[in-house]
Amino acid sequence: MADTVKINIDGTEYEVAAGSNLVDAAKWHAGNDIPVFCYHPKMEPVGMCRMCLVELGTPARDRATGDVMLNEDGSPQIRYFPKLQTACTTVVSDGMHVKTSTQQVIDARNDVLEFLLTSHPLDCPICDKGGECPLQNLTMRHGPQASRMYFEDKQLLAKHYPLGDLVFLDQERCIQCARCVRFQDEIVGDDVLAFHERGRRLQIITNSDPGFDTYFSGNTTDICPVGALTTADFRFGARPWELTDVPSISPWDAAGENISLSMRIDRDFGGKAQIKRVMPRQNEAVNEIWISDKTRFGHHFTRSDDRLQMPQIGSGGALRDSSWEAALSAMAEALRAAGSDIAAIAGSGMSNEDLWELRRLVEGLGGSRLGAWPPTHGGADAVAQYGIGLGSNLGQLGRGDAILVIATDLEEEVPIWRLRLKEAQDRGAYLVVANSRHSRMEDFALQGARNDKVVEGDAIRYGAGEAVAVMRDLMTRHRAIAERLAEAENLVIVAGAEGLTLSGSKALAQAAANFLIESDHMGRRNNGLLSPLPGPNGMGLHYLGFTPEASADIMADPPRALIVAQAELLDDDPTARDWLEKVETVIYANFFDDGISECADFVLPIQSFAERDGSFVNGERRVQRFYLAQGPVGQSLPAWKLFGSIRQSLGMSHLKPSAAAVMLELSRSIDAFENVSYKALAQVKRQFPDVGGRDLYYGGAAYNNTGGLGMQIASRADKNRRLKPRRLPEYADVSAGDDDLLIVPVTRLYNRQRNFRPSLLMEARVPAPYAIIHDEDAALLGIGPGDLIKIQAGEATVRARATLGGDIAKGIVALPRHIADEAIPLTPTPGKISRVAEAVAAGD
Amino acid sequence: MAIIGNPKYEERVKEHLAKYETTRSAVMPLLYIAQEEYGWVNAEGISEVAQILNLDPTQVKSIAGFYTMYSEKPKGKYWLHVCTDLPCALNGADDFYAWLKEELGVADGETSADGMFTVEHVMCLAACDQAPMLQCNFRYIENLDQDKMRALLAKWRQEAAQSANGTG
Amino acid sequence: MHILLRGRDIANIKAFDVYEAHDGFTGLKKALAMQPAEVIDIVKASGLRGRGGAGFPTGVKWSFIPQHEPVKFVTVNADESETGTFKDREIMEENPYQLIEGSLICAYAIQAKAVYIYLRGEFWDIGDQLDACIDALREKAYVGSNIMDSGYDCEVYTHLGAGAYICGEESALLNSLEGYLGQPRVRPPFPAQKGGGLYKEATVVNNVETLANVPFIMTEGADAFKAIGTAQSSGNKVYCVSGHVKRPGNYELPMGTSFRELLYEHAGGPLHEDRPFKAMLPSGGSGPIVPLTDEVLDTPMSYEDAESIGTIIGSASIIIMDETVDMTWVASKVTKFFKHESCGKCTPCREGTYWLDKVIDRILDGRGSPDDVKRIADVAENMAGTTLCALGDFAANPIIHTIRHFPEDFAQHVQA
Ligand SMILES: Cc1cc2nc3c(=O)[nH]c(=O)nc-3n(C[C@H](O)[C@H](O)[C@H](O)COP(=O)(O)O)c2cc1C
Ligand code: SF4
Ligand code: FES
Repeated sequence: MADTVKINIDGTEYEVAAGSNLVDAAKWHAGNDIPVFCYHPKMEPVGMCRMCLVELGTPARDRATGDVMLNEDGSPQIRYFPKLQTACTTVVSDGMHVKTSTQQVIDARNDVLEFLLTSHPLDCPICDKGGECPLQNLTMRHGPQASRMYFEDKQLLAKHYPLGDLVFLDQERCIQCARCVRFQDEIVGDDVLAFHERGRRLQIITNSDPGFDTYFSGNTTDICPVGALTTADFRFGARPWELTDVPSISPWDAAGENISLSMRIDRDFGGKAQIKRVMPRQNEAVNEIWISDKTRFGHHFTRSDDRLQMPQIGSGGALRDSSWEAALSAMAEALRAAGSDIAAIAGSGMSNEDLWELRRLVEGLGGSRLGAWPPTHGGADAVAQYGIGLGSNLGQLGRGDAILVIATDLEEEVPIWRLRLKEAQDRGAYLVVANSRHSRMEDFALQGARNDKVVEGDAIRYGAGEAVAVMRDLMTRHRAIAERLAEAENLVIVAGAEGLTLSGSKALAQAAANFLIESDHMGRRNNGLLSPLPGPNGMGLHYLGFTPEASADIMADPPRALIVAQAELLDDDPTARDWLEKVETVIYANFFDDGISECADFVLPIQSFAERDGSFVNGERRVQRFYLAQGPVGQSLPAWKLFGSIRQSLGMSHLKPSAAAVMLELSRSIDAFENVSYKALAQVKRQFPDVGGRDLYYGGAAYNNTGGLGMQIASRADKNRRLKPRRLPEYADVSAGDDDLLIVPVTRLYNRQRNFRPSLLMEARVPAPYAIIHDEDAALLGIGPGDLIKIQAGEATVRARATLGGDIAKGIVALPRHIADEAIPLTPTPGKISRVAEAVAAGD
Repeated sequence: MAIIGNPKYEERVKEHLAKYETTRSAVMPLLYIAQEEYGWVNAEGISEVAQILNLDPTQVKSIAGFYTMYSEKPKGKYWLHVCTDLPCALNGADDFYAWLKEELGVADGETSADGMFTVEHVMCLAACDQAPMLQCNFRYIENLDQDKMRALLAKWRQEAAQSANGTG
Repeated sequence: MHILLRGRDIANIKAFDVYEAHDGFTGLKKALAMQPAEVIDIVKASGLRGRGGAGFPTGVKWSFIPQHEPVKFVTVNADESETGTFKDREIMEENPYQLIEGSLICAYAIQAKAVYIYLRGEFWDIGDQLDACIDALREKAYVGSNIMDSGYDCEVYTHLGAGAYICGEESALLNSLEGYLGQPRVRPPFPAQKGGGLYKEATVVNNVETLANVPFIMTEGADAFKAIGTAQSSGNKVYCVSGHVKRPGNYELPMGTSFRELLYEHAGGPLHEDRPFKAMLPSGGSGPIVPLTDEVLDTPMSYEDAESIGTIIGSASIIIMDETVDMTWVASKVTKFFKHESCGKCTPCREGTYWLDKVIDRILDGRGSPDDVKRIADVAENMAGTTLCALGDFAANPIIHTIRHFPEDFAQHVQA
């Protein structure tokens, strides 16, 4: 079949991609906006709103010969359908003729709008969507001049119907387009929304428990073409026309979701610009137009009252506020005294520019140990070498391709990857999920069929500490699965660190890379390795020379002076207090005080991603820019500026004037960033589907990408296609002794990390402390479901409720990080559990 | 009361599950079973059907809401569905129904004070040559008039009284 | 002679033995001895057209099923919910084996894996009776594996709807059978195509009466069937007569019989001698209403002739109204039906039926204006032809045509 076909729209011929949807093709090629409500290019057409009616004709064919019949002038005869047809359910075909502006079409649009408006309230002035509402826009363009319906005959329905805690439904405004229902069903795979009743009484409901509460629920409020769905976070928060959209990048995980921060100058924030809502920004290669609810609702930390406000100096627990000037000179003095025995630990939320200035500072003083925090995932180096190929797009994986997800719970760690990989499976890709316990992704792998479509997948369960061996010996251990993976056209492996030590996760990544190399899935687009590194800039840490091994080394052998930048050591590491005591000078720069003030000498407020410019490198090695959006909190500084100022105080060099200038220097010094500049990062091009325009054609106010699509860093494999498999590095394989269980830290999306806690809306979604134990292990210890247990592992002692189930390998206890107040071990650690109290009745 | 684990339904549930290509297809027959067990489609019924079919309860609720023969509200012992659609109305169904409502002292859709009868007007029941007619608990009763109806009401009341005595 | 309502000629034909003794299963046995394609050719040659409403040639529909597809289905449309229709009910109550035999012949012709009979929920008793018949047939090896030693396997099941007229629309029926809302699907793909039918497999959907004709065609031959009726409408048709006639009921007559013969000779003429006929809805609520003029009365009842008087035969549910009936009230009744039955998927139908009902109520209440009459006619026109299934058109018909033919009935309410 030809790749393109010729179609005629209103008398002009266009060459369009074969198989494309008529609505999309008309918009893309002809700039012809056929009005739609129910149609959305990300979902299957349903043809229900009837807004997109057009006159449609195809070349007439002779029944006997199948030849196209010709007019006298030699042009093909066009046979028009007697009735108007819905463009949204039409796939273009060669020779198709479409009329979109005849009186019949205009009347039909007018009529459908009139019908919709008979039931729609006239509350645009108080509606959250007012000003960015497709219904409002289309009414202006195609609508009737006056309603012929009697106002007193309108229905009165619930205006604030909570579908869950996060999303509210205005039943009067809903136009029954089913976009929200279809999004949950087709894209998320949680069919927790549906219609109830029928005819004019049709209403959106959820009957799930808890209500509408998926990790992606907020997206429904963007795609709702009217103001029927609003988020609890934003509703009544501002009028859309008061908002300015600033391009940004999600600060949460390795996906690097492109977002827009809708800003407004706010009295409640001292007259400074504040985030009123977080919206997705279209980047088809990264997050398309979706973001997770954590990204959407987790922004409150940026202006929390608990944020550090002023520089503080002290020692031994007594801190006092200081000026920047005084703090800088005191720090310079302390650092000079420490000599070259200086090191730094940086969290994965630091921007590349921050890291560069930090590195220059440490190196300038003669130090060399640059630690990446948390030191839990060893995959960054492997991603730099074997990461997914240049130009990859998870949205292109489908039939004939395969995906292996091993040692990670993607739904919890990188929700957008899980969403996009599940969609790849919907498109026909073979999905294999391997872990020692059950996960949501595993459900998808084993589902068999979704929405009447067969979906292919398998699951592998392995025992404690077996991940590396399973990956290394996949061909012998799971031959059938391995062969299917090896034979796939394209193969992506997501290798995590769950259940692994730092060196174990490194070995796993190498084993995965070896499989990719051996099966010829390396150095090509849509092939290669991904790793759910924690935080938004795990790869930036790597490229700038910060390694988890250095962190481990620092912990084992503390330096005289340590700079801790955006890393919550005490929250993350139960041993931190002990080893930090050995450090003479601790300089701590962060948003919140995690208790480290007790042992820190300098506590310095820095700015969040919203308050300054910067860049992150996501898990697909894409360098992406975020922009200054919000007014600063207190006297906080961008971290790069802070470190640059310290260097200046030490007389090392002048402070750079801007983040862009830092990037310029960085790009000249670090090979990976060759050619990267703020200007290059800001480049945009038109993306298909065309959802981003100011015309709000498909709804979704902030999709417009004005901030840039970013630039991908080439992997070693991209540059050298003939990489060979390597011996696996030596790795520590922890296992529990006979009397112990292996306590495995796992990640939960919603947790009690400092920067998530201020988003109070999410508080109720953070589970109470719990640990998952195999039935048989629990039975041996006399532990029942829901019992309060004490977990002792290494330095950590944690209390949690027991969740029992056969859905985890024997000998393992899965313990979520950052749920309990106490820190839990960074990596798997043998430990003991014991019952403290019996389960209490539900609620607890 | 329950469907799951109830020997009364075990066989039927199995049969329904066996006859379709997907488990989801069995949602309608199972909703009838839920209605039979609980007298109406209540929350327990929905969640049990969802559990049996491995569906989200929202989907089951949605089906129950679309079709009028599932009641999402408690109803009387006898459900009287009187056809008042055009053909029956041409032959006196409207008057008959008005009379019946008065006789029972209820409005359309309501249940009589004694909890015995819920009356509802319905669309054509494919009995247009037998008007006026109704379905009582989905069984046809045709060619009605006031006398016949009074006799039926009396009979049902008596039946109900007997069964109440029998069990109590 | 009855082909369909044979219960009227032969006592207790609903019993297996009686049915078998009266040529029962001869047609099926004949079919099983032929190639499937030959069976389709015979049905094509008979000229049988679908009795569910649209009158689509049945053999042609069967021939659309792609032979190479491994899985195919037959679904029997026994949803019979059109206002004024009660023919399928009598066929199934009194002559159930004939329907099942017809379905099995169809199933064999397209090599279907199974037959699902979709009954409207209120046909609870009929469902039980059909289940008993199916069990009896399974025992006699007419249903199940290796039917009559032919090597052909086919199961037959019943499925009860639960009160939704829209489930008579074939794609909504399939959705309902799959456990989804009974809302019509986007076409193409059509049910007969892979991807469009039951469980996405190619599927024949036929009405009960359509299939009940098939055993006769197989037994007596296509020509025998074609000899009955008119050139373009062969065979007998069951007409359901209701409303203001002396003897309402089902009448099985050759296609082409005149309305006059049906209404006067068979149905006994006007219910009250002194109240002449005024109007007729020949296809329940969904077809255009016509005044019962002499011209109409003398029109033969066939697909082609009905068109000439501006209406349709459809499901042949003939509702008769005498001169006492106010057409505004009729419009209101029918509109309430469609408002109640609109599935809600398409905007014009969902909103239009709701809106029309409100305005007609206003008119009937004496609160309307002449403009309101124009308005509803206009709104109804706007609905027509814009929806996914024909319900939108059906709902427009009663308004458009009552106003067109009986403007005075509306005028009396709005001028006072
Ligand atoms: C709104 C609507 C309701 C329908 N109801 C019925 C019905 O109750 N019974 C029926 O046989 N066909 C009904 N049909 C027609 C079916 O869609 C379909 O055409 C028919 O079952 C095909 O069978 P046939 O070819 O044997 O007539 C309905 C169509 C529409 C649009
Ligand atoms: S709530 Fe919005 S998205 Fe959902 S059906 Fe209604 S109008 Fe469509
Ligand atoms: S019917 Fe085409 S956009 Fe809704």
